[in-house]
Amino acid sequence: MEWFNALLADNRIFTPDTLGYYWEGLVTTTQLVFLSLLVGLVLAVPLSILRGSKHKWIKLPIYTYTYVFRGTPLLIQLYIIYYGVVFFDGIQETFLWPMLREAFYPALIAFTLNTAAYTTEIFHGAIKSTARGEIEAARAYGMSPGLTMRRIILPSAFRRALPAYGNEVIFMLHASAIASVVTLMDITGAARFVYARYYAPFEAFLFAAAIYLCLTFAILFFFRHLEKRLLAHLRPQSG
Amino acid sequence: MADTPIPLEVRNIKKRFGDTEVLKGLSLQARKGDVITLIGASGSGKSTFLRCMNLLEQPDDGDLIVHGEAVQFKQTRHGREPADWKQVVRMRAKLSMVFQSFNLWAHMTLLENVIEAPIHVLGKPKKEAIEQGRALLERVGLTARADAYPAQMSGGQQQRGAIARALAMDPEVMLFDEPTSALDPELVGDVLKVMHGLADEGRTMVVVTHEMGFARDVSSQVIYLHQGVVEEAGPPQDVLVNPTSPRLQQFLAPKY
Repeated sequence: MEWFNALLADNRIFTPDTLGYYWEGLVTTTQLVFLSLLVGLVLAVPLSILRGSKHKWIKLPIYTYTYVFRGTPLLIQLYIIYYGVVFFDGIQETFLWPMLREAFYPALIAFTLNTAAYTTEIFHGAIKSTARGEIEAARAYGMSPGLTMRRIILPSAFRRALPAYGNEVIFMLHASAIASVVTLMDITGAARFVYARYYAPFEAFLFAAAIYLCLTFAILFFFRHLEKRLLAHLRPQSG
Repeated sequence: MADTPIPLEVRNIKKRFGDTEVLKGLSLQARKGDVITLIGASGSGKSTFLRCMNLLEQPDDGDLIVHGEAVQFKQTRHGREPADWKQVVRMRAKLSMVFQSFNLWAHMTLLENVIEAPIHVLGKPKKEAIEQGRALLERVGLTARADAYPAQMSGGQQQRGAIARALAMDPEVMLFDEPTSALDPELVGDVLKVMHGLADEGRTMVVVTHEMGFARDVSSQVIYLHQGVVEEAGPPQDVLVNPTSPRLQQFLAPKY
């Protein structure tokens, strides 16, 4: 306990100034992760349906995409997009350049493509594991393939995918720490800054770790609730 | 009654899986109020025959006429297929099926299962569908389980729920695919009782079953299939009580 008291009394590190950096980092991390998850989710839903297509020319490109993005490190993907985008001829003249010049948008693109790939595979697996009998019943009751997908397969698959998707969300939060290597001031970026200025690695990074822990707890809590509501049908005993 | 179309008629249905011909030209006519039971050893083709009736399996040859409307087929690279899937959807809505393994939709409550197809296939108003759904659940003795999920119910309850779901379509013909085969013996009775009631009220039914007592008491016609052909057919008192073919005699003989 003594060292903790000493820490508080003699605190040069956690000034309003540095706390401001952490706050900005928190905002950046939250924006980055939330936006990439949201766009990734929107992309993954149609991709996961098409991934199960009978036609080779539809499912093969999607499989290639998910394979490449799941088969290479996110850091490499980020480097390629952040440093590589400059080499497209004429991109500096387009309206996209002001956005791509900053670190935020390349990071957002890399994270979105990465999480979309993982989410596509999670959903594809869940869709594939839908009970055959339930699909057959839908057909036997006159549902068209589209209606069966919308009313039977997707609602049941998304529910089953929920625990795995919750893990993916936590994974993305933690993976977002690497955004700091392309100069983005996220939570980890703020911690690196504080570490560099005060040469206090433990304080700087433990504080960042605590913030990540709190965010993870919030995500877990959210998904716990969602599962409780949406997965009631998988719990055999009723109240 | 002569001018009302026959609810279901199939003629000369043939089906092969690879090199095995499982149905070798089967026909059946279900007039209003008929209860036709299909019996036979496993592998005799009775379930496949039933599944051809609502095109869960595509017959390779033969005609299918639902309520006077013949289903149109066309030849494709993959074999014979219905020419117009809209027609198939329309025709399936007139035939509702009860499966051996219930196949209730697991993510929906029992009541949601019952109202799903009436609302989204038949276009029934939700309020009306719910009222009808509750009445049907009462009829099969499941009022208390309306908000339960399938996984929370016993097999017998699930199957009675599945029958309520089938009734909610107000079908011309009900198809039963071994409805009691997956049930514990003590749960079979409840399901048979419900089916008995349906037969009594004049429902047209085609039933694949191993319950010889049910077949004897309820059917207007019994069809005994053997290796994809009709070996014997007729009223139950002929087919089940005085079978002529040695195979059927052996099939009906006590096993122990």
